[in-house]
Amino acid sequence: MIFVSRYDLRMQGVLNPLQVLADSFETRFNPFTLETPRCLLPLANTPLIEYTLEFLAMSGVADIYVYCGAHTEAVERYIQASKWHPSAPASPFNSLEIVKTTARSVGDALRDLDARDLITGDFLLVHGDLVSNLPIDAALAGHRARRIADKNAIMTMILRTGGLGSHRTKSKGITPVFVVDPTKSRCLHYEEMHPLQANKYVNIDPELLSTHTEMEIRTDLIDCGIDICTPDVLALWAESFDYEVPRRHFLHGVLKDYELNGKTIHTEIVEEHYAARVFNLQSYEAVSKDVLGRWTYPLVPDSNLVAGQTYKFERGGLCKENGVILARTCKAGKRTVLGKDTSIGDGSVVSNSIIGRRCHIGKNVTIQNAYIWDDVVVEDGSTIDRAIIASEAVIGKKCKIRPGSLLSYRVRIGDNKETKEGSRITRAERGEPPVAVRTDTSVVGEGGEGYPLDEEEDSDDEGVAFHSNLIYSTAHLNLSSESISTLNSNFSSATPTQSRSRLSSFAGSISDDGDPSSSNETFHHDAVNGLLDALKEGDDFDSAKLEFMGLRLSNNASDHQMRRAIAVAFTKRIAQLVEGEKMEASKAAAKAFGAPGAEKFLKEVAVGTKNLEDDQVDFIACLQKDLVHRGSGAIILAAVLKELYQMDILEEEAMFRWWDESEALGEAEDKEMKRVREKTAPLIQWFKDNDSEESDDSEEASDDSD
Amino acid sequence: MPSLQAGYAPNLGVFLKSLKTAPLESSIENLISLLKRRQIRNSRPCAIATAHLLLRVVAKFRWTDIGNLLERIQEVGQRLVEAQPREMVVGNIVRRVLGMIRDEAKEDRTEDASDSTSTSQLGSPGRERSESGSFRTEGGAPTFSPLRFASTDASTLSEASGDDVFGGRSQPTSRPPLLTSHTSYAVLNGVPVQQSMFNLLSATPTPSSTPPHASSPHGKSTISATTLAQRIATTTRDLKAEVISGIEEIIDELDQVDDQIAAYAQEHIHSNEVILTHSSSLSVQKFLLKAAEKRRFTVIVAESYPNDHEATHAAVTGKVSQDLEGDEMSTETFLKPLSAAGITVILMTDATIFAIMSRVNKVILATHAVIANGGLIAAAGARIIAKAAKVHRTPVIVVSGIYKLSPEYPFEFESLIEYGDPGNIIGYGEGGLVEHMEVDNPVYDYVPPDLVDLYITNLGAHAPSYLYRIVADHYKPEDINFHKPELQF
Repeated sequence: MIFVSRYDLRMQGVLNPLQVLADSFETRFNPFTLETPRCLLPLANTPLIEYTLEFLAMSGVADIYVYCGAHTEAVERYIQASKWHPSAPASPFNSLEIVKTTARSVGDALRDLDARDLITGDFLLVHGDLVSNLPIDAALAGHRARRIADKNAIMTMILRTGGLGSHRTKSKGITPVFVVDPTKSRCLHYEEMHPLQANKYVNIDPELLSTHTEMEIRTDLIDCGIDICTPDVLALWAESFDYEVPRRHFLHGVLKDYELNGKTIHTEIVEEHYAARVFNLQSYEAVSKDVLGRWTYPLVPDSNLVAGQTYKFERGGLCKENGVILARTCKAGKRTVLGKDTSIGDGSVVSNSIIGRRCHIGKNVTIQNAYIWDDVVVEDGSTIDRAIIASEAVIGKKCKIRPGSLLSYRVRIGDNKETKEGSRITRAERGEPPVAVRTDTSVVGEGGEGYPLDEEEDSDDEGVAFHSNLIYSTAHLNLSSESISTLNSNFSSATPTQSRSRLSSFAGSISDDGDPSSSNETFHHDAVNGLLDALKEGDDFDSAKLEFMGLRLSNNASDHQMRRAIAVAFTKRIAQLVEGEKMEASKAAAKAFGAPGAEKFLKEVAVGTKNLEDDQVDFIACLQKDLVHRGSGAIILAAVLKELYQMDILEEEAMFRWWDESEALGEAEDKEMKRVREKTAPLIQWFKDNDSEESDDSEEASDDSD
Repeated sequence: MPSLQAGYAPNLGVFLKSLKTAPLESSIENLISLLKRRQIRNSRPCAIATAHLLLRVVAKFRWTDIGNLLERIQEVGQRLVEAQPREMVVGNIVRRVLGMIRDEAKEDRTEDASDSTSTSQLGSPGRERSESGSFRTEGGAPTFSPLRFASTDASTLSEASGDDVFGGRSQPTSRPPLLTSHTSYAVLNGVPVQQSMFNLLSATPTPSSTPPHASSPHGKSTISATTLAQRIATTTRDLKAEVISGIEEIIDELDQVDDQIAAYAQEHIHSNEVILTHSSSLSVQKFLLKAAEKRRFTVIVAESYPNDHEATHAAVTGKVSQDLEGDEMSTETFLKPLSAAGITVILMTDATIFAIMSRVNKVILATHAVIANGGLIAAAGARIIAKAAKVHRTPVIVVSGIYKLSPEYPFEFESLIEYGDPGNIIGYGEGGLVEHMEVDNPVYDYVPPDLVDLYITNLGAHAPSYLYRIVADHYKPEDINFHKPELQF
């Protein structure tokens, strides 16, 4: 989720800022976000959005636009009822508008914002999961001073130092690398590194070294996602339609294109106060601990930020609301928050935990480092360690909830059951239309209710492997060492060596796509744009092909990268046709692939002339992966496959293999990926049926696939 | 393009400005949020904000009767106190206003009951007063007379309502008019009102139930309904004006309290003394500066790390950072630093307090709040100073405005202590420490009464054991627990 807020500077002293907030567009908080938007998840018994809005109110923001991904209605309902709604007397905001869009990424949301032409002055862009007590005035003043001096200073990012050592609130797995010129506090280069990356290098343009006398390469910064932007930022987003995330795409891209656009982006590095995002479950735990440790003061439970809260802070860090019943022999101590009407039985020990309202904790229960939401029942003798338990869950007698367990809403665990480490159990209804999924008693025990959430390989760009678990672990990821940044010139061999060989499985190649190593990105970015232009213009593909091959050679791109670029270009064009011109998916596919020379191009470049099945499978996978991001991706995939089959670009065998490999993944398959390929099932089935008969009845198939 | 300094973050100055234009309910909520977010903090800003808000509440109040006004103020006060119970001055100011309204009403009634001849004397002071006075003479309805003051108070009243409201303050011993009225309350009524004021007053304006005024000398009961209504209107307008001017007096008192306290400085600080103080209190600073006008002495300032050391350094050196507490309207920026006052100033760390105590003649402490038992809540570190002073038999003097004196007497002093941001103690960047250490950063200390020798308030010097008497003078017993409805009968 993202907030954007504008500081309109037309009149002195008149504050007219505006804020846009967008939802996460991510699924890292599953299983919880299946039913609730991320910004309404409770952090220390207060919905996350409250912290963000408090921060905005604290900064004196007046106008807010909110962009949501999923669960817009829930967010809207919440804000309507809260003190933040402008019609409420308590609201510090002049306006708070929830913008309804079909945006599926931050980039889409910002492009939408640009299209609406709402923002004419400077604005503040924050994510809806921000927790911060930072006074923003100094950063604003710095931003404005730079703006007056130089119109091209379009953006100021606020970054919190996190120290060189390990830090719980620093992003784990993915390390953001900021290259900063401290004399001008200008950000020169940005890259993200993660442990799966094959090359452990940061590629820095040697030009930078000659033009800047001082340069800091920093990996110690906590990126809290607070950006002070000028309207130029929106214009840049609008120009680059394939940017999706603010840092890895936008920031990286704009800095890279400095020569072209001349825009500079600055950093405001703060050493005091608190600022962090709750962007995954690990950071949920870290920020919860920070709240318990009062690092976020005054955004702590006993400030009772939300109307109706009555927390009182007691020595030793116990924060409890009125009406809490503690048995005489229970120990509730140390950095613990207890909500209203919660009762704790005799002999129970609660430490470093947050327990919501109306919970019932039985006798001799041990709870540590747990985050328990409202209306949870924990019966006698159970042990809970480092878990998140959502509202209305029930845990039977003598259960053991192991570290990393995530129990979603209304899950019931039977007596004497142990949950596995890192298990994710939900009762959410799945599919279209939603249907209840059968209880899996091997997981929740006799009398329990709930089923384990599929081990999913999310399409999430940053690699869900780092985010989807409460406990950060790289054990399953086959890592070698810490990331080390190295200066290297373009001439040294920064070849994007293929980590694919290592991760030969189908799923592996997908997460590998997220690899942001820079030359990879450069090629991808340029190639997609080139092809897309050719498709739009309807030009002959020969020139596009020349250009494409040139790019490929200059960037030393692999076949896989090439296929990915082609897949993205075509799917993007088709999606544009479908969404923009309301074309049917099959017609759009026909139009896109029918471009002059496209067939030849695809045959020669995308799948190779050698008719290798591997290449075709890979191409399908690329198509599938890209379509995850797009609206009606499933239908497009079916249409595209059918079209490619008819054009003889893909062969049946390749499709079967792709399908079977996906099927074979079973539960390990990402649910988004699965969703996208669901609509293709009839097509594959039809192929299989007709495999022997070789009958030609494609019309029917196309109907099916729609 | 606007100036670079314009900050957007709301603070006391922004709040007071917005009070003029914003609707009342949003102003109340705004103050509650500011208190919760600690964007208005420390005694004086809280007191000023509360007083101004209550002024607005009274001004906007659609008058029905005085009981409703009391209820309304209680309700607003309760919300403010709940927002930040540790800022005790908020409650104090609400109690002061409540008590003042009760007084106004009370005197209104006693005045009615006593003598109508005072009218002629009172004809002069104010516009409204003379108007209502003339009305009163023709109507001749003593029961609803707007005139509240007994004839003995008439002179005070005229002085108070004149242009130079606080002209009489130049002598250090004179009390502000408001306090005079409190004293007169004590003299006139002797014992606190036993029956609920609310019941008495709510009955007043209903024409059907004329209050039982046995003592009324006139006893005219045949008044037509229209004149009665007129009279009520006049009465209420007048009472409202009285209440408003009463709150304005409180606001003025807040402005002047430090200077009033400083007026006692030369009686307590003598030449060549060594004075120890800590943190950066404006009251203490003014007190010392006043004394420095005539005497030469040495001041040792403990820096009160980690919560207040920057402000303390600024107070000593005079380099006041611009956004200090965000309190734009204070005179702090114009205040001469201690070091420029011609006295010797030594800044030292808190750890050396005990070592240096043997050389100190007097300890002067600032407070956050004073509680009725004579103890005080002060910036963290005050207690060790007081304790060290006790060991060395060094007198401890506490400098505090009366508005910080709270009638509350909590069972648990812990609950009054705010725990702040541990980031002041260890940097958040220290990942290992953050993960494995629990850091407490208490902002305040409780100093028990036996460690304090003398309080200097704007009313003079008092022993800690005498404070209960001042509490009784300033707050009505029925207002003490106004924010806890469950404790009221």
